[in-house]
Amino acid sequence: MIDFLSSHVLSIILLSPVVGAVLVLLLPANRLRTIRWTAFLVSLVPLAFSILAWRAYAPGVEGYQFVEKAEWYAAIGSSYHLGVDGISLSMVLLTTLLTPLALLISWSIEERVRGYMALFLLLETGMLGVFLSLDLLMFFVFWEVGLVPMYFLINQWGSANRNYASFKFLIYTMAGSLGLLLAIQLIGLASGTFDLVEITQKWTALNEPLTVLGLPLAVPIGTVKAVAFWAFVLAFAIKVPVWPFHTWLPDAHTEAPTAGSMILAGVLLNLGAYGFLRFVLPLYPEQAQAYAWILGLLAVLAIVLGAFSSWAQDDFKRLVAYSSVNHMGFVVLGVAAAAQARGTLATPDAVIAVNGAVLQMFNHGLSAAGMFLLVGVIYERTHTRDLNAYGGLFPLAPVYGGILLFTAMASLGLPGLNGFVSEFMVVRGAWPIFTLYTAVGMIGLLITGAYILKGLGKVLHGPMNEKWVGHKLEIGRREILAMAPLMVLMLVIGVWPSWILGVINATVMRLFG
Amino acid sequence: MQPELLTWLIPLPPILAFGLIVLWAYRSNRLSHTLAVGAMVISWGMAMAVFALALARPHLGENPIASSVAWLPTGETALRLGVLVDPLTAVTLFFVAWTCLAIFVYSIGYHNFGKPRDPNDRPGLPPHAGGIEPMYARFFAFISLFAFGMLTLVVSDNLLLLFIGWEIMGLCSYLLIGFWYGKESARKAMVKAFMTTRVGDVFMLLGLAALYTSTGTLNYREILFNEEVLTTLAEASSGVLGLSMAGLISLLIFLGVVGKSAQFPLHVWLPDAMEGPTPVSAMIHAATMVSAGVYLSVRFFPLLTAGWHEGSPLTLPMTIVAGIGGFTALFAATIAVAQNDIKRVLAYSTISQLGYMVAAVGIGAYVAAAFHLITHAFFKALLFLGSGSVIHGMEHGVHATHGHIDAQDMLNMGGLRKSMPITFVTFVIGGLALSGFPIVTAGFWSKDEILAEAFGTGQLIIFGLLAVAALLTAFYTMRQITLTFLGAPRTPAASHAHESVPTMTLPLIVLAIFAVSVGWVGIPEGFLGLHLPIPNWLHEFVGGTLLEHPQALPFQWIPLLTSVAVAGLGLLVGWWVYRRIPAGGADPLVGWLGPIHTLLRRKYFVDEFYEKVFVRPAYWLADQVSYRWIDRGLIDGFLHGVARTALRIGSFLRRWIDLPVVNGFGDLVGETTKRAGRVFRQVQTGQVQGYLVVGLLFTGLLLSYFLLVRP
Amino acid sequence: MIPLSWYLALSAAVFCLGVYGVLGRRNAVAILMGIELMLNAVNINLVAFWRYLTPTFIAGQAFAIIIFAVAASEAAVGLALIISIYRNRSTVAAEDIDLMKW
Repeated sequence: MIDFLSSHVLSIILLSPVVGAVLVLLLPANRLRTIRWTAFLVSLVPLAFSILAWRAYAPGVEGYQFVEKAEWYAAIGSSYHLGVDGISLSMVLLTTLLTPLALLISWSIEERVRGYMALFLLLETGMLGVFLSLDLLMFFVFWEVGLVPMYFLINQWGSANRNYASFKFLIYTMAGSLGLLLAIQLIGLASGTFDLVEITQKWTALNEPLTVLGLPLAVPIGTVKAVAFWAFVLAFAIKVPVWPFHTWLPDAHTEAPTAGSMILAGVLLNLGAYGFLRFVLPLYPEQAQAYAWILGLLAVLAIVLGAFSSWAQDDFKRLVAYSSVNHMGFVVLGVAAAAQARGTLATPDAVIAVNGAVLQMFNHGLSAAGMFLLVGVIYERTHTRDLNAYGGLFPLAPVYGGILLFTAMASLGLPGLNGFVSEFMVVRGAWPIFTLYTAVGMIGLLITGAYILKGLGKVLHGPMNEKWVGHKLEIGRREILAMAPLMVLMLVIGVWPSWILGVINATVMRLFG
Repeated sequence: MQPELLTWLIPLPPILAFGLIVLWAYRSNRLSHTLAVGAMVISWGMAMAVFALALARPHLGENPIASSVAWLPTGETALRLGVLVDPLTAVTLFFVAWTCLAIFVYSIGYHNFGKPRDPNDRPGLPPHAGGIEPMYARFFAFISLFAFGMLTLVVSDNLLLLFIGWEIMGLCSYLLIGFWYGKESARKAMVKAFMTTRVGDVFMLLGLAALYTSTGTLNYREILFNEEVLTTLAEASSGVLGLSMAGLISLLIFLGVVGKSAQFPLHVWLPDAMEGPTPVSAMIHAATMVSAGVYLSVRFFPLLTAGWHEGSPLTLPMTIVAGIGGFTALFAATIAVAQNDIKRVLAYSTISQLGYMVAAVGIGAYVAAAFHLITHAFFKALLFLGSGSVIHGMEHGVHATHGHIDAQDMLNMGGLRKSMPITFVTFVIGGLALSGFPIVTAGFWSKDEILAEAFGTGQLIIFGLLAVAALLTAFYTMRQITLTFLGAPRTPAASHAHESVPTMTLPLIVLAIFAVSVGWVGIPEGFLGLHLPIPNWLHEFVGGTLLEHPQALPFQWIPLLTSVAVAGLGLLVGWWVYRRIPAGGADPLVGWLGPIHTLLRRKYFVDEFYEKVFVRPAYWLADQVSYRWIDRGLIDGFLHGVARTALRIGSFLRRWIDLPVVNGFGDLVGETTKRAGRVFRQVQTGQVQGYLVVGLLFTGLLLSYFLLVRP
Repeated sequence: MIPLSWYLALSAAVFCLGVYGVLGRRNAVAILMGIELMLNAVNINLVAFWRYLTPTFIAGQAFAIIIFAVAASEAAVGLALIISIYRNRSTVAAEDIDLMKW
C-alpha cells in the first residue's frame, strides 16, 4: 500500500479530482451540504499528496522526479509519462492549494451545485495534467481538458454578460490551441516521439529535413522549427496573456463566478507562462533568442498598458482583472530576458530573472486569487461591482478592510510581502539584459500603485457610507478561512522566500546548464 | 547577550505588538497602547544597549557589529540580508529610538485616552469634543508597524532590507495620513503621499537593480567600504548622460531620497500629509521617515562621491544633489513664510531643513549632514508635538466657546504662553534650535557646520542659498512663536485654551532637553579660535563610518558671523513684524508682498501644475487611450471585426453555396423520389383481388416464357 | 385404367374454378372457398402423380396431407379474420376491404 502510494503519487494527485467528480455526480442532487463537503474533502486529497511530494522532493537531484511512465498510445510514440521538477512542483502546489479554497468560497452557489462541483474538480485535473505531463500529446489533451469546464463555469454560473465572455474565452484559447496541436504534430513527426524528455535530447540537434509519410516533400528543419516556435508562442501568449492578446481576460474574469476568477487568475494564466518555460525556452533556444526582443516589448506593454487600463476601471472586478495583465507582464519579461541571455555572459542574470518569473507566477496565483475572493465577498453582499457605489466601508467591515488592505498591498508589491520579492528579482534579472524595457516597465510599477490605491480608496475610505449601514458587509468565517492560507503564504514568502525559491532556483539553474 | 543578536531583536517588539493588536488586543484601548508603548520601550532599551556597546567598541567603523543570513537564492550565489551597526547606524538608532518613544507616549494623551467615547464620533473622522479617538487601537497598531519599518531600515546592513523598511514606512505613512479617511482632504493626501514617494521609489528600485547587477551584492560594507568596488564603479561608464556607473546608480537612489525626503520636485506630498494626526506628522513626517531619506543619502555618500576627493570640484551627480538640496532649502522656506496653518509652516520648514542636509551631502559635508539629521530630528519632533499640543488646547477652546474657527490657523491664536506654559517654553526651545540661535541650541551647531563646509569648500552659491534660507527660517519661526504664544489672545477660543495632559508635555520636555544638548557633541575644534577642552566627538565618531576619514575644516569667521547674523536678524524681524497683530487682523506680509504673497501662499502653484501636467494626462492616457482606445477600440474592435467578418463569410456561404447548391441538390433528389412515388402509388389499390389478377398475369407470362420461348 | 391426363384435366378444371372464385367473387367467404378449391386441385395433382409415376414413394400422399392441414388452418384463420372484419365494418365484400390502399 505504502509502496503503491509512494510510486504513484503524481497519478493520485492527477486523478483523484476526477474520481471525486464522479463521486459528486453520484450523490443525490438536493443534498447540497453533502455535495459541497464531498467536493471540498476530495480536493484536499491532491493537496495532501502534493505537500507530501513537496517534502519528499530533492531539489539537488538532476532531472524529473516521481516519474511514472506507462504505455498509452504506442503506435505514435506517445505514453502516459508524468514527472515534476522544481518549476512544475511549485505550480502543482499552487493548483492543489487554490482548488479547495475556491471550492470553499463556492458554497454560496445555490443552483446546480452538483454539476458545478464536478466541473471544478474536472478543471483541477486538467490544470494538474498540464503541469505534470511529460508527453506532448498528453500535455495537449490536458490543456484542452482544462478549457471546457472553465467555459461552462463561466457560461452557466457567470454574471450578466457571461455568454459573450465565455464565448470570447473559448474561441480565443481555441485559436491558440489549434496552432499548438499542429506544432505538436510536427514535432512528433520530426522526432518520432511525443516524449518530452526524449524530444529535449534530440530536438535541438535535429537537422534532417522532415519528410511527411514518405512523400517527396521534404521540409527543411529550420522551417519546421520556426513554424512550431511561433505556434507555441501564440498559444502560450494568448493564455498568459501577453499584451495584444489580453482582452479576453478582463471579460472572462469579470463575468466568471468568484471561484472561477480565482482559478482563472491563479492557475490558468500560469499555464501559458509554464508553457514558455517548459517548451519554448528548452526546445527553441535560437528562435527564442532571435525574437526575445519582441516578447520583451510585449511584456513591457502588458506591464504598462495593463496598469493604465486597470487604473481606468470603475468596475472593481475588472480593475483586479487588469492587474493580472500587469503582473503577468513581469513573468513574460523574465522569460524574455532569459531567452535573450541564453549562452551569453548574462546567464546568471537570466537565472535570477527566471527565478523571479516562476516566483511571480506563484505569487500572482496567491494575490490575484485573494483579490478576486475579496471582490466576490463584497459583491455577494452589495450586488454591485461599481467602485463608485462603495466608499466608506472600512468602519462597516473592519476585518474585511484589513484583509483587503493586506492583500492589495501584496498585489502592489509591498516589500515584506510576496509580490515584491518576485518583482524585484525580475527587475534585477532583466535590467542588464533589457535595460530600456525594464526602465519603461517602471512606469507600470508606478501606475500599479495608482490603481491599487484607487481600489482601496473607493472601497474602504471615505465618510461612513450611510447607504450600506444596516447591511451585513463583514466577511464571514468561511471566507476568512479561505483567505487565511493565502495571507499566510503571502507573508511567509515575503519574509522568508528561500523555502520555495531554493527549489525553483535549483531547477532553473539546470535549465540554464 | 551578543550585540549582533541584540541588534537583530531591536525591530521585533513593535511588529509583535502590531500583530497582537490587530489580531487580538484591538478591543481594549488600554491593552493596545500598553502593548505598543511597552514594545517600543523594549526596542528603545535594546537600541540604547546597542548604542552603548557600539560606543564602547574600538574602531567601530572598521569593526562594526554585523551579522547576516542567506535570504534569496540566486543561481550559484545567494543574496544575504542582515544587520549592521556602524557609527552612522548607531547615532541614527539613538535619535530614532528616542523620538519614536517620545511620540508613542505623546500619542496616548493626544488621542484623549481616559476620556469617554463621544457617541457622535464616527470612525474615520477626528473626535469632535475631546472624546477618545474611535480608532484608538488601530492608531497604535499602525505606529507600531511604522516603528518596525523604521528600526528595520536603520539596523539593515544592505539596501534591500532598507528598501523593505522604507516601503513599510511608506505604507504606514499612507495609512496614517489617511487615518481620518472620512475627510476628503485626508483621502487625497494619503494617495498623493504614496504616489509621489512611489515615483522616487521606482527609480530607487532601478538603482537597486543596477547596483546589484554591477556589484553582485547590496551589502553596504561590501560596496561602500570597499575601495576596489568603488573605483570600478566610478570608472565604469553607464552610457547615460556621460555618467559613471557610480554616478548613475547614486542618482537613481537619490531620486528615491527626493521622494521620501520631500525634496523639490517631489516635495508636494509632505505639506498635505499634515492631514494626519499630529503625532504622525511628528514621527513620520519630521523625525524619522523623511529623515530616512537623508539617512540613505548619507549612507550612500561614498558611492555618490566615488572618484571625488576633498578639495576637488564637485562631480556632476554631486552638483545635482547639492543643487536640489540648496534650492529646496530656500524654495520651501519662502513658502513657509506665507502659511498660516501652524503645522503647514512646520511641514515646509521640514522640507527646507531636509534640503540643508541634502545640500550638505552634495557638497561633500558628510559629518555635517549626519549632524543636522540628528539635531533636526529632535527639535522638529519637538516642534510638531508642541504644535499638536497647541492645536489640542485650541480645539478645547473652540469646543468650550462653541466657536467654528480653524484651530490650526495661527491668526486665531495669540497669548497662549500664559495658558500653556510648558508647551510655550519647549516650543520656543525648539523654535530657537530651528532658527539656529547661537551657542545654546543644537540647531546652531549643526547648521553652522553645514554653512562652514559650504563656505570652506568654496561652494558659494550653495552657501548663499542656505544663508538666505536660514534667514527666512529664523523669520518664519519667530513669526510662528509670536503669532501663537505672544501678545494677547485674538479669539475667545485662544483665551480658553489650556495646557495639555502630562503624557503630552513629558515628551516635550525630554525632546527639549535633547534639542539643546545634542549639539554639544559636535562643537567644532578650534571654535572661535579657542582650544576647547571637549573634542569634536561626533566628527571623529561618525567620520569613522567612511573608508577615508573626512578632514575637519579649519575654523573660519565669515560663515560663523553669517550664521549668527541671519539667525538674529530673522528672529528680530519676525518678532517686530508680528508683535501686534490685532484680532481679525491680516498678515502684514500680504500688503507688502502683494501678488508675490499669493504666489507663496499657493506654493508656487506646483500642485496645480502637477495636476494639469501629470495626473490628469496620465489618467486620460489610462482611461481614454489605454482602455477605451487601445483595448476596447483597437484590439476588441479588431476581434469583433474578425468575428463579424467570419459571420459575414458564413452567411455568404450559407446564402450562395449551402442553400442553393448543397440543399438544392438534396432537395431535388427528395422531390423527384416523392413525385415518382406519387405516380406509382396509384397501383396500390388495396384490392386483394386486383393484386391477385396481376400475380396471375405475371405467372401466366412467366409460364408462357418458360414453356413457349425456352422449352 | 384411367390415364393420368384425365386427372390432370380434372385438376386443371377445379383449379380454374377456384381461380374464378378468388378473382371473380365479391364475398370474402366465397374467395376463401375458391382458395380451398385451388388447394384441392393441387392435391389431386399430387396424388395422381404419385400413383402413376412413383408409387413406391409416399411423398405425394404426405404432401397432400400437409396441404389438408394447411387448408384447414387457413380456413380457420381466414374465417376468423372475415368475422372480425365483418364485425368492424359490417361487410364482407372484398372491394370494400381496402385498408392497405395508399
